Amino acid sequence: MLHKTDSNAILFVGAALGLFFIGGLLTTVAPPLIDKSWNKPFENTDPSKGPTGKLVAYTDQEMRGYRIYIREGCKYCHTQQTRTLASDVARSGWKGVPSPVSTPDEFVYDYRQTFGTKRTGPDLSRIGGKYNKEWHRAHFRNPRDLVPGSIMPPFPWIANNPDELDALVAYLQTRGRAKDWRPDNDYEK
Amino acid sequence: MATNAIRGSMAAPAAVATPEIHSDTTVKWFVLGAVGYFAIVGIIALIIAAKFVWPDFLGSISYFTYGRMRPLHVNGMLFGWLLAADMGLAYYIVPRLCGVRLWSEKLGVATSVLWNIIILSAIVTLLGGYQKGIEYGDLPTPVAVLVVIAWVMFGINIFATIARRKYNQMYVSTWYLMGTILWTAFVYLTGNFATLLPGVTGVNQANLTWMYTHNAVGLIFTPAGLAIAYYFIPRASNTPLYSHKLSMIGFWSLAFVYVWTGAHHMLHGPISQWLQTIAIVFSILLLIPVWAVVYNFIATMKGQWHQLNDNVSLKFLMSGTIFYLLTCFQGPMHSLRSVNAIVSKTDWIPGHAHMAVLGTFSFMAMAGVYYVVPRIFHTTLHSEAVANWSFWLFLIGGLGMFTALWLGGFWQGWQWNNPSIPFIDTVVALKPVWMVRFFSGIMIFSGIVLFLYNIMSTALGAGQAKAELARS
Amino acid sequence: MTDYTWQSVYFSYLLFAVLAGGAVFFFIRSVKDGYLGPNSEGPKYRMLEDDPELDPPQPNGATAPRRP
Repeated sequence: MLHKTDSNAILFVGAALGLFFIGGLLTTVAPPLIDKSWNKPFENTDPSKGPTGKLVAYTDQEMRGYRIYIREGCKYCHTQQTRTLASDVARSGWKGVPSPVSTPDEFVYDYRQTFGTKRTGPDLSRIGGKYNKEWHRAHFRNPRDLVPGSIMPPFPWIANNPDELDALVAYLQTRGRAKDWRPDNDYEK
Repeated sequence: MATNAIRGSMAAPAAVATPEIHSDTTVKWFVLGAVGYFAIVGIIALIIAAKFVWPDFLGSISYFTYGRMRPLHVNGMLFGWLLAADMGLAYYIVPRLCGVRLWSEKLGVATSVLWNIIILSAIVTLLGGYQKGIEYGDLPTPVAVLVVIAWVMFGINIFATIARRKYNQMYVSTWYLMGTILWTAFVYLTGNFATLLPGVTGVNQANLTWMYTHNAVGLIFTPAGLAIAYYFIPRASNTPLYSHKLSMIGFWSLAFVYVWTGAHHMLHGPISQWLQTIAIVFSILLLIPVWAVVYNFIATMKGQWHQLNDNVSLKFLMSGTIFYLLTCFQGPMHSLRSVNAIVSKTDWIPGHAHMAVLGTFSFMAMAGVYYVVPRIFHTTLHSEAVANWSFWLFLIGGLGMFTALWLGGFWQGWQWNNPSIPFIDTVVALKPVWMVRFFSGIMIFSGIVLFLYNIMSTALGAGQAKAELARS
Repeated sequence: MTDYTWQSVYFSYLLFAVLAGGAVFFFIRSVKDGYLGPNSEGPKYRMLEDDPELDPPQPNGATAPRRP
């Protein structure tokens, strides 16, 4: 049987696809069936089990901001995952409070995953509530005004368009807010 | 025997009266188009490298912002240059290995026309901000549908040629190309369409995306590039391959192992631990297909290394082989959790990706183009010296870029792992690295320009040379 | 740290065992079949030769006669 695979194209096709589909199906179709947390929105009311909170669906405005985030390719420089690394937990934290790690159930309503592969700018998985809208407006107009040395491009066409700016900021303020992780509840709007 | 001796050099076919067996029209269309897009997208690559050094450069025009040009750079290089060149070379290799003509030149040319429509609409839609938002799968859905149609046309043509082949037992390049066509179909559908199914969100979508993104390199460009290398290393050096059996081991282990590894893009991230562990184990297993292939190539060249002196195709092929060994050693190593904690998400990653797609598979494709173009136009290469220059510019520019990004990436990762360093300081620290990358990019782009000039001069000069031959 | 997916790691252990078994099976099988024998090296020599002439294109997509 094995001897024929390099002389029989049909057998070859079967073998090549068969081997491919073993791994292909087990790593794409099986995982969401095994791990329910991939499709169940985060909800926790018991403080002993970690941060409490509830993941809510996006509003229309947040969704418009989400689409702007995708349109401008923000995810090519900003990741959105606090990994299980001590440094990530510290860096995503705020005012000395470490942030909880990201879990699959926080991303159930994300129509486009924005985990990212490259961290040219800081991680945004817990950016929600860290800065107010005025800060974001000034930052989008020219990032170097607020953060000297930054290499983020300016986005004047967003900063000068109140509708788009409000939507994008509304989206950013949702990031990481499913979990109530700051003890003083000092989230900016 | 006389023809054999000549075949090793670049100047072969004009001297030997070969009857026109293969018309190679499709090869011409695909290869020349690919070389053109290589240069066009090379400009975009330079612009985004410049944006790291001068962030306001072209910054206030929405069409030229980094987040829109990067997907264009990635998709333009992958589909406009590399995949088109690979397809063109496949149209050259398969009929020759099978001992029959291409099934349909008309279908082949139609595929090329459709491919050009795809690339041009990609440029317009990506700069316009219509990207789908899936890495490597940024093309909007209507364009992705065209890609699928073009791929089916390509697949029908190649498989129909193979079905009519004269020799039953197939050479390994034929296997790799068949594998490329089959796997690409499913990998592409997963990344561009399965990810959009209702209910596929968040981590689930990410997992499908990484399956696609990883296998776009692993099961599209790897088998296509290896098919090219397996064909052109023996042909350009006029030396039989070291071992057909070893090539089988390399092929079947690649077929089985590669598809499992997608989740290693999410190590330490919000994805199931068991899936991460599987991805790590299979990433290590990748050493088997890689080393089988590299050993085969190196052993083929045993006693033949002197041929590299005056054979540009072999220079590209063998440095591509070395880069393949390096990049596929990096890959398994930074899939280990401990290494990944340092290098993941840093500039190491683009360094690694460029060594795979530029250093390895583009080198192999360029070797094929340098070998094929004089033969399909029945002439000699316009200038061996310019070809040599292009090789050294690619090699030195590539090495400058890769080493700068690896060292910079490691440094960046160490800084990140010390949370007392503010993030912006880790950005400022990398600026010299991005400067080196930009100047390496200028060298690589100069190599592309020389490559384009040489290939186009060969193609355009072929008619004149023939006319002179007829007059004399 | 409690991990929300640690139980499923046993699934991957099981998978690895099955795959290792399969690899051994196919290796023994291919040695027995002579798949790794000396008679399978033909294509690498033939690929160095171009065909001097091709069979004429077959009408109706019929399969061309094959040489072994």
